[in-house]
Amino acid sequence: MGVNSDAAAVYGHKLSTVVPGSVSGETVVHELADMDLVMKLHYVRTVYYFQQSETVDGLTIVDLKKPMFRWLTSYYPVTGRIRRTEAGRPLVKCNDCGVRIVEANCCRTLEEWLQVPHSARWRPLVPDKVLGPDLRFSPMVYVQFTKFQCGGMAIGYSWSHVLGDPVAGTNCINLWGQLLAGNPPPKSLLPHSARTPTARPARQPPVSATPLSVKQVEPAGDLWLIADACKMATDSITITESRLKHLQSEKLNSVPAFEMISALFWHCLASVRRGGREPRVVTICRHKPRAKKCAELSNEQMISTVSTSHASPADLDLAELALLVSKQKVDETTLVEESIDGDGGKPDFVVYGANLTFVDMEGVDLSGLDIKGEKPVQVDSVIDGVGDEGAVLVFPQGADAGGGSKGPAAVLILPEDQILKLREVLKREFDMA
Amino acid sequence: MPAEPLPQFLSSIKLKYVKLGYQYLASHMLTFLLIPVMVAAFLEAAKIGPDELVSLWRSLGINAIHALCTVLLLVVVATAYFMSRPRPVYLVDYACFQPARNCRVPFATFFEHARLMPFFDEKSVRFQVRILERSGLGEETCLPPANHYIPPCPSMEASRAEAQLVIFSAIDDLIAKTGLKPKDIDILVVNCSLFSPTPSLSAMIVNKYKLRSNIMSFNLSGMGCSAGLISVDLARDLLQAHPNSYALVVSTEIITPNYYAGNERSMLLPNCLFRMGAAAVLLSNRRRERARAKYRLLHVVRTHKGADDRAYRCVYEEEDVDGNSGIRLSKDLMAIAGEALRSNITTVGPLVLPVTEQLRFLASLVARRLLRSRGWKPYIPDFKRAFEHFCIHAGGRAVIDELQLNLRLSAAHVEASRMALHRFGNTSSSSLWYELGYIEAKGRMRPGDRVWMIGFGSGFKCNSAVWRCLRTVSTPVDGPWSDSIHRYPVHIPEVVKLL
Repeated sequence: MGVNSDAAAVYGHKLSTVVPGSVSGETVVHELADMDLVMKLHYVRTVYYFQQSETVDGLTIVDLKKPMFRWLTSYYPVTGRIRRTEAGRPLVKCNDCGVRIVEANCCRTLEEWLQVPHSARWRPLVPDKVLGPDLRFSPMVYVQFTKFQCGGMAIGYSWSHVLGDPVAGTNCINLWGQLLAGNPPPKSLLPHSARTPTARPARQPPVSATPLSVKQVEPAGDLWLIADACKMATDSITITESRLKHLQSEKLNSVPAFEMISALFWHCLASVRRGGREPRVVTICRHKPRAKKCAELSNEQMISTVSTSHASPADLDLAELALLVSKQKVDETTLVEESIDGDGGKPDFVVYGANLTFVDMEGVDLSGLDIKGEKPVQVDSVIDGVGDEGAVLVFPQGADAGGGSKGPAAVLILPEDQILKLREVLKREFDMA
Repeated sequence: MPAEPLPQFLSSIKLKYVKLGYQYLASHMLTFLLIPVMVAAFLEAAKIGPDELVSLWRSLGINAIHALCTVLLLVVVATAYFMSRPRPVYLVDYACFQPARNCRVPFATFFEHARLMPFFDEKSVRFQVRILERSGLGEETCLPPANHYIPPCPSMEASRAEAQLVIFSAIDDLIAKTGLKPKDIDILVVNCSLFSPTPSLSAMIVNKYKLRSNIMSFNLSGMGCSAGLISVDLARDLLQAHPNSYALVVSTEIITPNYYAGNERSMLLPNCLFRMGAAAVLLSNRRRERARAKYRLLHVVRTHKGADDRAYRCVYEEEDVDGNSGIRLSKDLMAIAGEALRSNITTVGPLVLPVTEQLRFLASLVARRLLRSRGWKPYIPDFKRAFEHFCIHAGGRAVIDELQLNLRLSAAHVEASRMALHRFGNTSSSSLWYELGYIEAKGRMRPGDRVWMIGFGSGFKCNSAVWRCLRTVSTPVDGPWSDSIHRYPVHIPEVVKLL
């Protein structure tokens, strides 16, 4: 089954908008921090799959939309639209314009759909829109409800990275799920800290050192999309607990799982790309721990790089690589933030995919979304707008929220041929399917 | 030495008392004429003495039969008089539909949707935005769920769903407020201009609330934004014919099927201004309801200018060149509204104005006739002396401005209309009830206050109703304003910049 026919299986799209219940105010703005502007060319796309059940069947679109006005009152900046200051720096005008809702149907059953390869599976179920070409009228968040033939449902959630990191994004949609279940909004929900326009220190370019972790791109203007990205495919590989333990015990005990997995994929990808552009430098992205119930919208990443000096990562022992990753990280977070010009918010950067990027998705609570107690049987979560070098998202508990400790999962965002070759290498060298 | 000129305020106070005295005299003219006559008769009788009075009586030769017949005649005349007097019609209570927060349409969303609609060209989008900026609407007005889609999906099912939502919600609130038992409703009048399914909306209500099988139900459709008062008039007439009855009047306008999907400017205005709303009103002629009724209906005056072609075509539903149906508003809408209003107040005036104002109007009329060449401006009576509160149909900012000018009302008098337009938009026939709700929620309604409701609508019709408040309405009032009244009144700028 080709990609085209998969996409064509989803039909009957209906667009509507949901707005916050209360008026946010006349001239309320949500300032975008430097880190937000660094991440602006990326989008987080997540699809939650729910099996057919009485609860899911009984939900009409009216029921699904009902808690949204309360939800969006708490998260009112996500309903705003991008504007620019006089100097050209983007910010969010909280004008309650709303979140776009898409309703669609799929002519296949959920079971059949889950057989579709990862790359083609999530795309038709979540709107792949970007911000622009008219920023003033581009929604920053989309939610798509797709009904399957059997009665199952998929909820596609598109989140613009400029608003916040994936932790913030999932916390946002999880709140909707809680309100749908009839729970009152948690008292401990912190209101948005009023982002007063802080006096940004006037920075004079050029900066002392250029960060390795990001790549400056052509000015995106009003269309926030990576200009010349080759079409990335995605895949998900689960690393069973036993395999992980085996790797860890064989090599080193003290290396945590994320570093281990990053080293593993670095090594394999290096051997896949041998002869071509080998990934000598990789970017490691972690999220700062944040209170789960917090409604804070921000990008709290810690970005660092790891480089192998002379040797190719493919030649290095997995143990050495793992140690390198865990011990030899160079933190570039501040450097990255400082590269953004205070006034104009320029230049435009790509973070994920500037180098081969490993993102630690610890704290991203994918299992936190439930429909009146029903948990999703499967969750696909990827990042769109990744640069040429690709990215690997490492989920500690597996992107599969079906319960049962299957172990961590790695979601690969790479060119299609590299994924196939990577799987071969994994099978050959590490006996991983 | 020339007398010092009186201080300004002192002279104005003296003038005020003179004026008040004159008004009192004119209003109680008959009493004042009668008093001297009675005094004279009494003095005469006192002069004559009681014995002479008795002999005077005997000399008349009235015997018992004459006396009995006279008394009987008086009784018959009195009975006929009291029977022919109209039954009082009481407004027991009313309830308005409170739109759900889910249906809110902020300006930004309206603008964005207009841009995304495939059938609007750029000029139409800009026109609609300009209208919205100057409309006097706020950010909390509501459209039905079907209109939140891009493009709107106006199916019959969605229209019925909207009708059920707004009407049942209003009636449920009314039942909760008054303790009304659905089986007690004798008369049901529903008006909804643009949505008329089969079975009718009144049948829908009978079905939902299981009303009696001998209910007198009526469904008025196509009668425009003034149909609310037409329904009240009809209910009043029915209550004259049927004693001891309850009448339920439901006024609404269903927005879902009426989205105009074309590019004719004169037909785009309803898209921008019309919003969801409904009101349910309980009227009764039962004597025992007098104790708890809020208002008494004093007059309803209906004026129809449809005989004039211009007025008839002023608000006209038709299809544009591309086959999209919409309501065309003509350019001389304001002028026609003004004429209709003048016609209406010519009839309302004598019923409500104090005698002094009527005399002034008469004098001005005579003077104009006699001195035709002098070009005297027609005297517009001061209706502020006849009414304490005004509810002007919130058809749009222009309508309210025009009426404020014509009737020489202050900003405070039209505040209810402006704020209802801001908070709820143009809810058509139910807007008058939202405005009345505003006045009550602000705690301004006192017993004895008179309210003038003026509605305009297609036809072209101008209808008025005059109510008198019977009891204090204490705040806080449970109604559509309960969660927002503390924020009102707001200042509504001339133009709200949308981008």
